[in-house]
Amino acid sequence: MNKLEIKNLNVSINETPILRDFSLTVPRGEIHAIMGPNGTGKSTLAKALAGHEDYTITGGEVILDGEPIVGMEPDEISRTGLFMAFQYPSEIPGVSIANFLRAARTARLEDGEKLSAPDFYKELYSKMDLLKIDRAFTSRSVNEGFSGGEKKRCEILQMAMLGPKYAVLDETDSGLDIDALKIVAEGVNKMRGPDIGVLLITHYQRLLNYIVPDRVHVMFDGQIVQSGGPELAQRLESEGYDWVREARADQLVNT
Amino acid sequence: MMITSEPTTTDNPSLEDPRVFQQHQDNLGIDVPWLTSAKQSAWSRYLELPSPLRTDEKWRFANLNRIREMGDFRPVPGTTPEVPGIVERSRRFNEVSGRLVLADEALAAAVELDPDLRKQGVIFTTLADAIVQHPDLVQRYFMQQTPELGSEKFEALHVALLRNGTFLYVPDDVEIDRPFVSYNWSCRDGGALFPHTLFITGRNARASLIEFQEAATEETRHLVVANAHLYAGDGARPVHTIVQNWNLNTLSFQLNTNNAQEETVTKSTLINLGSIQARQEIHGKIFGSGSNVEMYALNVPRGRQEFDQRTLQSHIAPRSRSDLLFKNALMESSRSIFSGLIIVEEDAQQTDAYQTNNNLMLSDKAEANSLPGLEIKANDVKCSHGATTGRIDESEIFYFLARGIPRSKAQELMVFGYFEEIVQKLDNAELAEYIRERLVHKFTD
Amino acid sequence: MSSTPDLNIERDVGNFHYDTSYEFDAGTGLNEQTIDYIADVKGEDDWVREFRKKALKIFRDKPVPTHWASKDLENIDYDKIRYYLSKGQRPSRTWDEVPDDVKNTFERLGIPEKERAYLAGVEAQFDSEASYSNMKEELSKQGVIFVGSTEGLREYPEIFRKWFGKVIPIGDNKFSALNSAVFSGGSFIYVPPGVKVKQPLQAYFRINAENFGQFERTLIIADEGSEVTYMEGCTAPQFETSTLHSAVVELVALKGAKLQYITVQNWSANVFNLVTKRGMAMDDAEIKWIDCNIGSRLTMKYPGVVMRGPGARGEVLSIALAHDGQHQDTGAKMIHAADNTSSNIISKSISIGQGRSTYRGIVNMPRSLKSCKNNTECDALLINSNSRTDTYPAITVRGNQSTVQHEASVSKVSAEQIFYMMQRGIPEDEAMSLAVNGFVNDLIREFPMEYSVELKRLIDLEMEGSVG
Repeated sequence: MNKLEIKNLNVSINETPILRDFSLTVPRGEIHAIMGPNGTGKSTLAKALAGHEDYTITGGEVILDGEPIVGMEPDEISRTGLFMAFQYPSEIPGVSIANFLRAARTARLEDGEKLSAPDFYKELYSKMDLLKIDRAFTSRSVNEGFSGGEKKRCEILQMAMLGPKYAVLDETDSGLDIDALKIVAEGVNKMRGPDIGVLLITHYQRLLNYIVPDRVHVMFDGQIVQSGGPELAQRLESEGYDWVREARADQLVNT
Repeated sequence: MMITSEPTTTDNPSLEDPRVFQQHQDNLGIDVPWLTSAKQSAWSRYLELPSPLRTDEKWRFANLNRIREMGDFRPVPGTTPEVPGIVERSRRFNEVSGRLVLADEALAAAVELDPDLRKQGVIFTTLADAIVQHPDLVQRYFMQQTPELGSEKFEALHVALLRNGTFLYVPDDVEIDRPFVSYNWSCRDGGALFPHTLFITGRNARASLIEFQEAATEETRHLVVANAHLYAGDGARPVHTIVQNWNLNTLSFQLNTNNAQEETVTKSTLINLGSIQARQEIHGKIFGSGSNVEMYALNVPRGRQEFDQRTLQSHIAPRSRSDLLFKNALMESSRSIFSGLIIVEEDAQQTDAYQTNNNLMLSDKAEANSLPGLEIKANDVKCSHGATTGRIDESEIFYFLARGIPRSKAQELMVFGYFEEIVQKLDNAELAEYIRERLVHKFTD
Repeated sequence: MSSTPDLNIERDVGNFHYDTSYEFDAGTGLNEQTIDYIADVKGEDDWVREFRKKALKIFRDKPVPTHWASKDLENIDYDKIRYYLSKGQRPSRTWDEVPDDVKNTFERLGIPEKERAYLAGVEAQFDSEASYSNMKEELSKQGVIFVGSTEGLREYPEIFRKWFGKVIPIGDNKFSALNSAVFSGGSFIYVPPGVKVKQPLQAYFRINAENFGQFERTLIIADEGSEVTYMEGCTAPQFETSTLHSAVVELVALKGAKLQYITVQNWSANVFNLVTKRGMAMDDAEIKWIDCNIGSRLTMKYPGVVMRGPGARGEVLSIALAHDGQHQDTGAKMIHAADNTSSNIISKSISIGQGRSTYRGIVNMPRSLKSCKNNTECDALLINSNSRTDTYPAITVRGNQSTVQHEASVSKVSAEQIFYMMQRGIPEDEAMSLAVNGFVNDLIREFPMEYSVELKRLIDLEMEGSVG
């Protein structure tokens, strides 16, 4: 079954619970958006899925196309097919983007297989053209001295080159001006299709004008409190998060 | 081990032997009065100066045991040793302006120099030859500047016993892309070498000199006290690189000055791979305004290697810039000392001076000592220094893991990425590629 | 901005002097008889007398450390200094009992007033001995001890002797040896386990006599889980001849204790201030030095923390102002001797006129320890074109499990910043004061409120007339 299933996931940071019985299923071929106010655990979800050691999974399961990934090392998770675009991508001085991506691709090959350099560069350049990234970029160190927009485009480029089954984009729209946002959105839209499931994490509805999601989930206090179609995002945009808070409070009182 | 019937160092008196200087003078075969008298006074200075102590600030943290035992070494005889393959091993680059190969301080093959450059007045030859052919030019620069960073005694020994080295003179307005390459090989067991480099660039001249320091074999023991002095005339753009790769039985000294007049862009880089212990003193002296003096080093000690580096950036004239970046990656039980100082003199207003020392600790037994200092006597300046010591950043490793790159590969990429900052400053693709290879070799050996 | 500012206003705070008669005077110069005199008048045990004599020998044998330190040290004439002057060895518990001339001095400095306002206890030292020493009653009931070192040695020898000279051995340096030979005065504090002293304890050190040497010795022990803040202030009149102040301060923070030591040093510009201060922090304990140096001719002081227990923390926050004729040679020493220890050093210095400020630091992680951290920031501000600053850190790290980061910068007050303020009608020197206060602001906030106000005022006074 081609889907990313998150079942009753509980995540703590330094023994403080952040995600509580969080459940969500993203079938391949769909784009789901998670929205919610700051501090509700959206980024925690992304980091926990990617296997960051600071985010302790205290319960629940994450199943990627039938394979449980909780407890795997972060690189195994990545090679299993989950890509995360970081909200704050690390700067890696001295390691060029080309070498970085070659290493990531090489790690995905079977033993004895070799990466063909010409094919690799051909593919890299075509994807860079698609994302309107200057070819001179390949020799620059990963994210070092990049503008906010450049960093995010570099994340999407990596996603395109690594061809994940599922991608979690953590606040990919933050810090972007409208032109950069459009380029990033265009990149995601070009990759959209039956082979990939996308989880967009965002605070603002703005991004969803350019990447129209199949489903929208509202996250609050470490849980999903409301799900719906794209119209849900519109409502959040016009009414803010207060009504969610109130609905949540009512829900808690009534239970 | 090399077994030959040619003269070996054991025929010479050792450094402890009072006859060593007289024997050296008798065999030198260069009869230039100013040099003879310079050597004589240097010898008496060597005898008078006290040996360094750990309590001297300039020798803080230093390991003096090997230095105290250097009396066993014997100056090399000045004849070319018969070591097969040296000349062939001294062909690392295709694109060069000139090539010079010294084996135990003696010329191993004819000096090569692009004839067009010779016509333009470029001089590229051995120091011994330059002293005879261009005595005034050599005298004008010889030991005019010294590092003054603690090794005065060994500098005196160097002058007293030096016999050869590399001389490169680039006249005014001559600009040269391809590098000059000089190879210094240590060959005979127990030999003491005193190579001396003079690199002079005239007004608006541009040139690059690469020096390789190597041992013919791994087993021989050596003492090397090398000097290299760079003089950049107004508007000159010299680039000087030393690849120190003496064998692991070598105690080496490298005592350098980089002297910048006005509006120069002066760059010097040290790549340190070899020697069991290397003491290096590099003094950048900025005499002119508008200059940019860059000093870089990449040090990769391993085993019980110890690199002890002392640097000084002296801003004497106003409105100049200097930038120093010394990066260490320490493996196994190796040790490093970086002691750097920026001095901004009263008149050197509007100075920009930077100094950075990074230590990447790759073993639990390695030790890094860092003493980054500033002495600022003018107020309109931008000066900063930074020193970091640590291991590979875990959050950066996570970024690699998140892209599916295994931990070991991530570490390797990050270590080589750490080196790249210096390697990319080398300005010469062939050299950069060669250094990358040497680094991989050093890591995977 | 190259003219040398004319400044003496700030000295007025402490620049007065009452003629005083002393009942006890060891005379001028230093020899074994001086030590016997001091030990006799204090009625000390033989072990203390022997300790002093041993220290005298070490002091004489140790060279003046001019191979790294200022040559100005050579100008101290130890034969012309008076090593012990007092009216008696038993301090009063009420201000009424303090002799008038001494009381007038401390009233003029506002000490009784501050005591009433916000202090848990006060010790006021006049030349060699404490004249006044008192602490709130509830603290004594909790078992807190706060007395002068003379009294501490006499009344609590079992605690005193256990820690005395253990953090700073006699031979640590030439001046710790000198202090160990002739020490008198200073504070002895013991805080029992779990006791948290909420208000600060304050000591005030006053040099009154000319050609005098003050050698107070402070020992503070914070027992397990306790907390205490100690503050010291100091002044002296401006004499023609130089005066020597050479203290030794030892701090011991046992498991989980928190000890904070605050200094506002405002000696007159004829004082050589050569002080050794070090703390030892056991498991999860924290020692914090907040050190502000405004006065003196030459200060040499590098407060240190030896982190002996896992999880211990050390911190030095330092502000130095060096004016014409002043050299503030200050810094910090952080010795990491256990796993998971962390230290932080922030040093900000301001050099005015021909003043010179120097940062000297040691960060040492000598063994292959786990997860030790140090962060050091040194920022220097140069006001005039002939002002001077130096930075000499030494960092040693062994192993690949610790991290150290050191950053230093040198800058001047930006002309645009001054112009902007002046355009808003602020006079230039006031703008300069604002800029300088801005430079040290984040550090001043670390001081207790009353002190930060005083500090800002001192800085304003120092900056007056520094431009032009």
